[in-house]
Amino acid sequence: MADKVSPIEALPPASREYGEIDRTSKKPRWAMVVDQERCIGCWSCCVICKSENDVPLGMWWNRIDTVGEALDTPYSEDGELRMHWLPLACQHCENPACTKVCPVSATYPREDGAVMQDPERCIGCRYCMVACPYGVRVFNWGTPERPTDFDTGMVEPRPVGTMEKCSFCVHRLADGQVPSCIWSCPAQARIFGDLNDPESAVSRLIRERAGYQLLEERGTDPHVFYLPPRRKRGLWT
Amino acid sequence: MSAVTDTGQAAAPGGTGARRTAGGGVSPGWSVFHPRNMSPALRVWLAVLLAGLLVGLGAWVYQLTQGLAVTNMRNSMMWGLYITLFMYFVGLSAGGLIVASGGRLFGAVRYKPIVRLAVLEATVAVMLAALLLLPDIGRPDRVWHLFRYPHLTSPLIWDIAIVTVYFLISVTYVWLYTRADLARAGSRLAFGTGTSAADLARDERLKTALAWIGLPAAILLHSITAWIFGLQIARGFWYSAVMAPLFISSALVSGMGLMILLALVLRRGGRLSFGNDLVSSMGSLLGVFIAVEGFLVFSEMLTAAYPGAGFEAEPVERLLTGPYAGFFWFEVVAGLAVPLVLLAVRRLRMDMRWVAIAAVLAVVGIFVHRLNIVLNGLSYATVSYPPGVSIGTAQPAGETSFALSLFYYPSVIEWLVVLGLLSLGALVFTAAALYLPLREGGPGAAPGPALQADPGGAAME
Ligand code: SF4
Ligand code: SF4
Ligand code: SF4
Repeated sequence: MADKVSPIEALPPASREYGEIDRTSKKPRWAMVVDQERCIGCWSCCVICKSENDVPLGMWWNRIDTVGEALDTPYSEDGELRMHWLPLACQHCENPACTKVCPVSATYPREDGAVMQDPERCIGCRYCMVACPYGVRVFNWGTPERPTDFDTGMVEPRPVGTMEKCSFCVHRLADGQVPSCIWSCPAQARIFGDLNDPESAVSRLIRERAGYQLLEERGTDPHVFYLPPRRKRGLWT
Repeated sequence: MSAVTDTGQAAAPGGTGARRTAGGGVSPGWSVFHPRNMSPALRVWLAVLLAGLLVGLGAWVYQLTQGLAVTNMRNSMMWGLYITLFMYFVGLSAGGLIVASGGRLFGAVRYKPIVRLAVLEATVAVMLAALLLLPDIGRPDRVWHLFRYPHLTSPLIWDIAIVTVYFLISVTYVWLYTRADLARAGSRLAFGTGTSAADLARDERLKTALAWIGLPAAILLHSITAWIFGLQIARGFWYSAVMAPLFISSALVSGMGLMILLALVLRRGGRLSFGNDLVSSMGSLLGVFIAVEGFLVFSEMLTAAYPGAGFEAEPVERLLTGPYAGFFWFEVVAGLAVPLVLLAVRRLRMDMRWVAIAAVLAVVGIFVHRLNIVLNGLSYATVSYPPGVSIGTAQPAGETSFALSLFYYPSVIEWLVVLGLLSLGALVFTAAALYLPLREGGPGAAPGPALQADPGGAAME
């Protein structure tokens, strides 16, 4: 798939710069920061993820949950209406529940913190899906269907009967480029970088904006951090 | 196959009657499988099973060509009927080794007449459990990966190991208990072993040794199967230390229930003989198991529900009042309360019909219990904000491809595949019950009016 050109190549230089990983230590530990204050719930990152990774119809590696009871609907707190989203993909846990249970090590943590998936090894038992607390894994129940009859992705498509999920776009990291969901976010709500470098954007944001991890109490220790909204989007506040 | 034709030819000229008398009334040999030698009912039964097996195979082939999309499982309900039945059959195998090992180690001689039935039941049940994993996985062509790349932290690997060990133990048990009679009948399945006093004494030693391995293996089998579920912190409904004891108790209930039913059926079919008092005593044991099961279920529910919050309380609330609540109340009333009463009342326990009804209820009740574990553990998104988990197959235009929860019911294909596997299990069991000498107690091991051994005689071994 090396002959394909990533959409980022077509961007003007300034945007392309935003598409590059800012600074890394010698032994990077990749992390993603999602700013819930900036996210506008547009699903751009989800759509580009589908095209970047050739994700079949009916499956999403990345999705935008709406905080509250109903899709794209405000919830009420302290007598105010508020509206926030929770973009959700694999959390690339430091202590992944999924890799522990895989009977054939088809899903495994990498040195740099990315949790990988081997479609050639997977036997399709779906135990990893049972074990993951975040509901972000997707399974090829039937022969994958795609809207086009050619492959759109920058990675190999996965066969029927195997598991797949967000890969942290490791095929892009090798070139120093951020994952596709990062540079494509129109609100710049997603930031990617090296957790081991204390001065990287992700490290600073997590520190300064009190980044939190989802379902922290389950002890999975995700490499995806959320920045809680400071400004409430209420009518009076 | 050569054995079939060899002995078949030998038996054919003489016909049934000749064979039986010629063989000294010992083992019927392969000729029992000749349709001419079967009662009409048996012939119909086998034909039905064969048809069921073929239909199931067809359904499985269809599923292989289409992928698991032909099941009703999806990302928001990733395990279904197959896994439920997997753990159910693991549980059903319990009766076997409990009666065999427990009987031997704790000297419960009165179970002697059914001990061969027990180990045969265990063998077939655990075989079915292992086979149920095949249609469940998405890539059955890659099962060899399990042996080539085993990942030792996975409870699934532990389970596959213990299921294999347990199956081998059960087969050895069946052989050890029947081999002397097979040898007397000149069967090749005796593998040339003899029937001298020394041989029989060695059998006894081996049986005791196997009992010492078998009992811990049985306990491990049910515990590890429980840990597949109970170690998952993602699923509040499962993540509980009571899971392993609970699986042992439900295995005992369903295993004992099935034993009672099979024993009654085989006695009616003339393959076993024992007195009603044996069934009553199995019934009271079943009653005790049910009581323990009920206690553990209650204890688990109370622990989860009492705080009134947390990731355990929600599934419990759904269990009691949600869309699957009917299953739970069926489990409590029909699976626990009613059979417990039936078995507790002495007068009813003495009546074989009531014991049989209680056993049926217990066996069905435990199945529903297993279903509740899977459905309530899995069918709800763990991050419960809309739109929820992406379903995993392309949906028609205008329909969402996400779901917060999925009301799962097995698809026709799933039912048919299961039908095929159940038929296979019943076929294997029927064939073994026809061929193997199931009666305990030396030469009295074959059918025939003179050999309706008295139940007391069975205790001689
Ligand atoms: S979010 Fe789920 S799939 Fe991703 S690493 Fe964590 S446990 Fe595994
Ligand atoms: S579905 Fe594949 S990746 Fe997941 S646990 Fe099973 S074999 Fe491993
Ligand atoms: S990192 Fe890549 S694979 Fe993961 S959600 Fe973003 S675009 Fe998709």
